[in-house]
Amino acid sequence: MNWNQLKTILWLRWRLSRNQFTRGGALNAVLKTLGLIGGIMLVVAAGIGGVAAGAFGLPQAPPNITIMIWDVMIGIFLFAWLIGVLVEIQRSEAIDLARLLHLPVSLQGVFVMNYLAAHVTFSLMLFLPATLGICLGLLCSKGLVMILLVPLVFSFIFMITAWTYCLRGWLVTMMVNPRKRRNVIVIATLVVVLLGQAPNLYINVFMRHRPKAHQTTNNNSTPAQPAGNREMLPPGYVAAHKYVPFLWLPKGATALMAGDAWPAVWGSLGAFLLGAAGLARAYQTTLRFYRGQTEATPGKPQVIAATSASAGAPRKNYLEKKVPFVTEEVAGLFLAFTRSLSRAPEIKMALVTNVIVIVVVGGMVFSNTKNAPGPTISLFIATTAIAGTFFGLIQVLFNQFGYDREGFRALVLLPAARRDVLFAKNLSFAPLVGILGLVLLALITILFHLSPLVLIACCLQLVAMFLLISIATNFFSILTPYRIASGSMKAAKPPAKVILMIILTQVLFPVLALPIFIPPTLGFVSEKLGWLSAPIVDVLLSLLLLALAATLYRLSLGSLGRFLEKREKDILLIVSHEAE
Amino acid sequence: MSFAIETKGLTRRFGNVCAVDTLDLQVERGRFYGFLGPNGAGKSTTIKMLTGLLAPTSGTMTILGENVNDPAKAREVKRHIGVVPENLALFDNLTAREYLTFIGRMYLLPLPTVRERCQELLTMMNLENEEKKLTMEYSHGMKKKLALAAALIPNPELLFLDEPFEGVDAVASRVLRDILKRVVDRGATVFLTSHVLEIVEKLCTDVGVIAKGKLVYQGSMQEVRASGTLEETFIKAVGGEDHAPQKLSWLES
Repeated sequence: MNWNQLKTILWLRWRLSRNQFTRGGALNAVLKTLGLIGGIMLVVAAGIGGVAAGAFGLPQAPPNITIMIWDVMIGIFLFAWLIGVLVEIQRSEAIDLARLLHLPVSLQGVFVMNYLAAHVTFSLMLFLPATLGICLGLLCSKGLVMILLVPLVFSFIFMITAWTYCLRGWLVTMMVNPRKRRNVIVIATLVVVLLGQAPNLYINVFMRHRPKAHQTTNNNSTPAQPAGNREMLPPGYVAAHKYVPFLWLPKGATALMAGDAWPAVWGSLGAFLLGAAGLARAYQTTLRFYRGQTEATPGKPQVIAATSASAGAPRKNYLEKKVPFVTEEVAGLFLAFTRSLSRAPEIKMALVTNVIVIVVVGGMVFSNTKNAPGPTISLFIATTAIAGTFFGLIQVLFNQFGYDREGFRALVLLPAARRDVLFAKNLSFAPLVGILGLVLLALITILFHLSPLVLIACCLQLVAMFLLISIATNFFSILTPYRIASGSMKAAKPPAKVILMIILTQVLFPVLALPIFIPPTLGFVSEKLGWLSAPIVDVLLSLLLLALAATLYRLSLGSLGRFLEKREKDILLIVSHEAE
Repeated sequence: MSFAIETKGLTRRFGNVCAVDTLDLQVERGRFYGFLGPNGAGKSTTIKMLTGLLAPTSGTMTILGENVNDPAKAREVKRHIGVVPENLALFDNLTAREYLTFIGRMYLLPLPTVRERCQELLTMMNLENEEKKLTMEYSHGMKKKLALAAALIPNPELLFLDEPFEGVDAVASRVLRDILKRVVDRGATVFLTSHVLEIVEKLCTDVGVIAKGKLVYQGSMQEVRASGTLEETFIKAVGGEDHAPQKLSWLES
């Protein structure tokens, strides 16, 4: 690749970004400009902050604090970097091999170009000035030996970017199949979510179950070590800095400050060699992908073909099932939607998100509760759990048609009444919400020994909230749908109003949950005033709430169906790729 | 005379661009109508408006005798039409059989009929060996064949086909041509757009040519043949004759 080609590719990258920027609308441009200005200010602040920290802060800090500061910095950088990788693999307009290799450019050239382009991320733009600022500050305060920190920083970045580029390439090769693509994205997202929640889980769930053990150990040990002593850190933690490559930077930096240059030298060399190995491996992956050596066993389709051919009479499929109490059209729609949902990775992700949220929040709540809550408080805990059932599903529920993508065109072409489409859509989420809610209720019942009355009230509240939330989600799904890119779970080039709407729906969720808190609140008040007991009031009012919600839902279907009929062509333009 | 499709002053604007400009179209029942035009002429926009995928800016549309500008009537008309749109209308997460079953049920066909027709259509389109795949994993040609099967399953009175032969293999293409002929023979109407003039010439009984959003030619195939070939009629209608043969001198050096 010569200089002119390189310039052209750089121009292409800039042009793609510029087009996306200019076509997003005025509000979008304003928000992005503000974001850009904020970003530049942050980068400058990071650089200046780094110099200040290196010149005045770090030299005064004891080694264990220094190493922990570096660890935290690296932890934040790696997390932000991983999120960046996750976003990058979902990009549809990336300059990939398929779009360039028919041109007179070499594979190596495109590979190097793409690798260099992968460095243009906000996390790196923030991390690099901050670390280089620290280097400069330390150079001033600790002397010339600190210059060895600069190659260590660059080697570290090279190692991280090379291996994540390798990881990205591996993920991309797996994502050639659109079905696998979505699964890869879901799993990668979940890994990032879990990594992000790991400290939270560790501190709030696991650590809190072991306070006595810690105290006992401390009591039996020798008198406390003086602050600032390296031995204050757990031995495993210190040892990890020797063997975990991305901890070589903190170790090298701390050792340099103590006057020992060797860890920094070895760290630089080791990180550089590891980075080179990562890049070589990434290139091999690219080469295999280019040569088509990544596909799975070629004989597999033939086996399927033989099996299918010998199958004879057509088997009954899921879509042929009978659904009681509903019309044929609602049944058909319901079965198609549930089948789609059961295979949709976004739903699996929503479920897992719910589980993570429940474990984290539940862990925090339970670990902070020394005594079992009273029966009245249990009412509120159970109702809160009911509201929590919907938490992970908000994004999917508020954009029901966005996830249909091209399939929404089939809905527009169908002769079905639009109220039936909405009803079937809502109905298809019912099993999901039901299972999640009942599992949660079962857990709460075991933990708090809920009375049968409270359990009944909660079941009624679950249905009532589902109906109420369905009215809101139907309305917003029709009013502000947004496209989810094919093979991805992120909004495709969302305009500012869509981003605002996503934020609004997140804010709106607690408001929507408010009605189900009325029965336990009034039950609580009634008990305090000496009238009826809280569980009885809770059940009666939950029943009333359900009746009200059902009436409201039934009334809303007709008008929302007409609203959908009126807006369906506009929705189609947005959710299908015709909008592009 | 009874028309399967009739439009009056049908117009669709996209900002300042007029994709379809006061289109007055009449397609008799039981005819095989080929709707032709150069790229960007407004063919797909017209089909989208006729099938309810796109709202017209102005004008009226009558399909099978019903004014489809009225949403309630448009929905009723949809029970009698089959559509293969330009951008296909498939659910990513369903298999071919599931998708066909879904469409069959939505047209209120009895389940044994749905099952029977699914099997026949899948075999005919050579998709029966792809049962394990979701539609998202299909190639463009396979998706097109599935969309065609879905349009045929309710045995509609009127078929709208936007480039039905594009990306379809020769075997399926031949089978499809035979089926479409039979559909028209039993009295149904087919409204088809295609860039392949040979196919249109072989199949269609009537043609209309649209250019820059306006209907510039409409006539029966007999009239076309009387004045030459379809290609000549088409080029003449869209003003292709005015384009002087361009010379790219650098190609010869």
